[in-house]
Amino acid sequence: MNTSPLVKIIYDRLHDSGYSDLSTPFRVAGVEFPFTAAMRGRDGRALDLVLLVDTTTGDFGDRDGMRVRQRVEALSRALDVTGSRYVVTVILAGAMLSESIEALSETCRVLHVEDVPLDDHGKPTDTAAARQLDDRIRVLLPLRLPAPLVETEEGSGSTMEQLLRALPASINKTLVDAVIAASNAGEQAVTEALALVINDVVQSALGKEQS
Amino acid sequence: MSDLILKSLDINNFRSIRGQIHAPLDANVVLIHGENGAGKTSLLSAIELALTGKIQSLERADPSYQTQLVHRSANESDVILKTQVGGVEQSFKAALSAAGVHSVATLDKRRGTFFRERAFLPQSLLGQLLQIYQDSGSEAASPLAQFVATLLGLDQLDALEAGLKPFADVRNVRKNVDGWLAAENEKSRLDRLLSDQRKARDELAEQIGNSVTELAGLCTKLGLPVTVREETLEEIAADVSNAQDSDAFARLTDKQRRLASIRREIDAAQGAIKSNAAVAPTGVIEASTAFGQWEAAYGERVSVLRSGIEALLPDVSLQSEPEQFAEAALKALSIQQKQLSDRVSQARTDIVRYGVAQNERDVALRQRDTIDFEVGRLSTSVGSLGSVLAELTSFITSEICPVCDRYFSEISQVRLVEHVHHKVRRLSASAERLLILGRTRSEAQITIERLTSEIEAIAARRVDETILAELDRRSATATALITELETVIDALYEGGRLRTTYIAAKRAVSGYQAIHVSLAAARETLNDFAISIGAPALEASESFETASARLAALLGGQAAQLEERLSMRRRATDHIATIRSALVRRKEADERITADHALWQCADRALLQAQTLRDQGNTIRSTVDRVRSAIIRREFNDRLNRIWRDLFVRLAPGEPFVPAFRIPESSTHKLQPKLITEYRDGGPAGGTPGAMLSAGNLNTAALTLFMALHLAVPRELPWLILDDPVQSMDDIHIAQFAALLRTLSKEHGRQVVIAVHDRQLFDYLKLELSPAFPDDSLLSLELSRGTRRDSICISERFSFKEEATFLAAA
Repeated sequence: MNTSPLVKIIYDRLHDSGYSDLSTPFRVAGVEFPFTAAMRGRDGRALDLVLLVDTTTGDFGDRDGMRVRQRVEALSRALDVTGSRYVVTVILAGAMLSESIEALSETCRVLHVEDVPLDDHGKPTDTAAARQLDDRIRVLLPLRLPAPLVETEEGSGSTMEQLLRALPASINKTLVDAVIAASNAGEQAVTEALALVINDVVQSALGKEQS
Repeated sequence: MSDLILKSLDINNFRSIRGQIHAPLDANVVLIHGENGAGKTSLLSAIELALTGKIQSLERADPSYQTQLVHRSANESDVILKTQVGGVEQSFKAALSAAGVHSVATLDKRRGTFFRERAFLPQSLLGQLLQIYQDSGSEAASPLAQFVATLLGLDQLDALEAGLKPFADVRNVRKNVDGWLAAENEKSRLDRLLSDQRKARDELAEQIGNSVTELAGLCTKLGLPVTVREETLEEIAADVSNAQDSDAFARLTDKQRRLASIRREIDAAQGAIKSNAAVAPTGVIEASTAFGQWEAAYGERVSVLRSGIEALLPDVSLQSEPEQFAEAALKALSIQQKQLSDRVSQARTDIVRYGVAQNERDVALRQRDTIDFEVGRLSTSVGSLGSVLAELTSFITSEICPVCDRYFSEISQVRLVEHVHHKVRRLSASAERLLILGRTRSEAQITIERLTSEIEAIAARRVDETILAELDRRSATATALITELETVIDALYEGGRLRTTYIAAKRAVSGYQAIHVSLAAARETLNDFAISIGAPALEASESFETASARLAALLGGQAAQLEERLSMRRRATDHIATIRSALVRRKEADERITADHALWQCADRALLQAQTLRDQGNTIRSTVDRVRSAIIRREFNDRLNRIWRDLFVRLAPGEPFVPAFRIPESSTHKLQPKLITEYRDGGPAGGTPGAMLSAGNLNTAALTLFMALHLAVPRELPWLILDDPVQSMDDIHIAQFAALLRTLSKEHGRQVVIAVHDRQLFDYLKLELSPAFPDDSLLSLELSRGTRRDSICISERFSFKEEATFLAAA
């Protein structure tokens, strides 16, 4: 493994996420494959084979898109020959021609980390930089789900139960029952229900005068 | 694994699947492959039907879809899905026939909803998710709004909101609530009526006040010791009608007469002195003879005439000289006659007018009653009924009544539409009629009030028939006397001349002797008279003329004063009558106002109660809005955005923008989440996803949104069932997508069922999703069908195989 800070930080990040180092060069089907770095997942990701390519300062033809592709294609064939189920992911660290990336993508999964702001110790300068790195290789990182929300009192129950809880205590129950019952049948029914309740009140108030 | 997992699916003649197939599903990942039309979608929708009893995407497209689910070659169909939790198996079954779906067992409602909204992604839902980017309008009917409403179960709240909204505008309330408009009309009618009545009452009160003030002024001038108020009216009336002034006036008139006779005596005495100063009078005998003859001829007649005149005019003093008598009597008679005839004609006019005015008022009252009756019969709502019926006519296309669905021809020969038109015309004519009636009524009311006051005025001054007859009689007498006087006037002049001659002659003789004596006596008489009327006695140097003028002026002054007082009393009496009648009318007005005010309060109360309900409706609406906003805010929170962003970046690592929901901080109308894009590396937000993302990444956004919705809430069901989700994704995305599916399946315990039509993709996924650890499993299902044979489902199970490649190296 070389000393490129970018390769180092990617390697560290993957290592932290449960990937283990695979010493290079490694042999598949009797063929030796040299890479700047190679890693392997575990458990659910046990079939992930991650190859790091340093397009800026790397050896083994890392700086030439064509040679990278040839090497990866050869590896794929060798894996096929041995009946392996490994899935290859190539991480390109540093700039590379987009045509080359596209061509490489036909062979395997390609992740491209062009640049990440790093400080003197080779660490991301801030959380934004760290996130920038993560975003580039996210598909290899574990998916963290936020803790499920605890259902609060006001958020529980059906929408109508929530509505009833939110209504002021002084509200006319007849009215509420009428419009909620009507709301299943659509807005027109709600309008009519309210109109009916109001009309009843008006008629009975006017009716008193006549009696 | 203790999660609920899908175990197997048995399908019999369902949709495009002919015959019977059995599909095992008990693996962490189930990959389904088939050419287009091979039955992938049928298989996945069979799962939905078995679990929830319906197929939502078809329901949306065709409400009667349930009758079309059986394969066209068969009459019956059924779908049996088995699930397993721990070691316990559970069956969900739906039986289908041409009549529809009969579900034997389904998920409970909560999990059924979760399945539909967050576990199963059919093509139609993916299409719907794509649509929310393409049509990014923010109005309530936008695809995003509809999606949000369905997802969060906001339909009822939205119906409440939309249904209550019209009540914010009072015009809509009038339109929707019949009683409201009626109450409002009643109230404003009473408002106008009350204001008119109060105005009339105030005018009456003002009139009373003015009369009381004037009456008080008169009483003060008359020196009556009373306080003038409405309550003391009786007392004042008694005081005003006191006769002491008229008595005093009669006495004064008497005194004036006496003064006049004294003056005449003195004038005569002085005249005699002047004419007979030098010569001794002659010709007494001749004058006496001539006068004696005239007297024999006319004396009787003149004396009758004189007594007649004195009877008619007791207040007038007549001289005894014939010509002076004639002149004075003629003048006094013609004045009297004119006065009498004026009074008579006035009284007669009054009597006639009194009757006519009563008749006129009677007519006006009847007119008003007629109007009231008609107004009572015309409902105040004819106008609105008319417009409603007018709208209704456009729905009448035949003789069937749109209201009761009966044939109109059963009851009438007239065509229904003509009948309704006629009715509308009649109703709108009635509404116009109401306006006219209202106008006419107030005119009639004004007429009635004018006539009432006129009648009361006449009644106050009217004389009764007896007095009228008496006046008439006196008038006739005066006329007769005038005629008589005119016939004898020449004779009277002649008699006067003869008498003058005679008296002159006689006076000349006796006067000559008695002048000094009589003058002295006259002066004594005048002096006595002056003292008797309370005037200073005559001075020695004061001449007769000066003294008598002084006394006449004194008496004249007193007479003027008394006349003034009498006239004031008459005016006071008039005012009292006016006040009395006004008081009665004011009382009536007060009673009417009290009654109408009670009605007004009733209408007001009705409107107030209705308004309270309307306010409560608005309260409900604002609460609905609040609850709805709370639900949306709870759901479309940063948590959802975070998961969505993570998933999106996994699938599109090269895309500089990421989609997100934003909830407007404050919203004037219904709160809706908005779709925006943000720079992935931070920075101000860009435009909508539809504008910022490529087509492929929009597809990615839709797919990841579905997965984010699945992941953002507690896991009700651990399944992700995807129907051909990668049709237009390019190769890069497929590689990333496969990795994501692996992550979900192998690290988050989701059972993934995915159908694809692309063979290459199928093979690729088979490799990528291969079992990675001992418990891991993968099933592939190959669906195929032919035109003449039953559908076939070939399943292949892949289990974990230790990878040997790097054993040595590791």
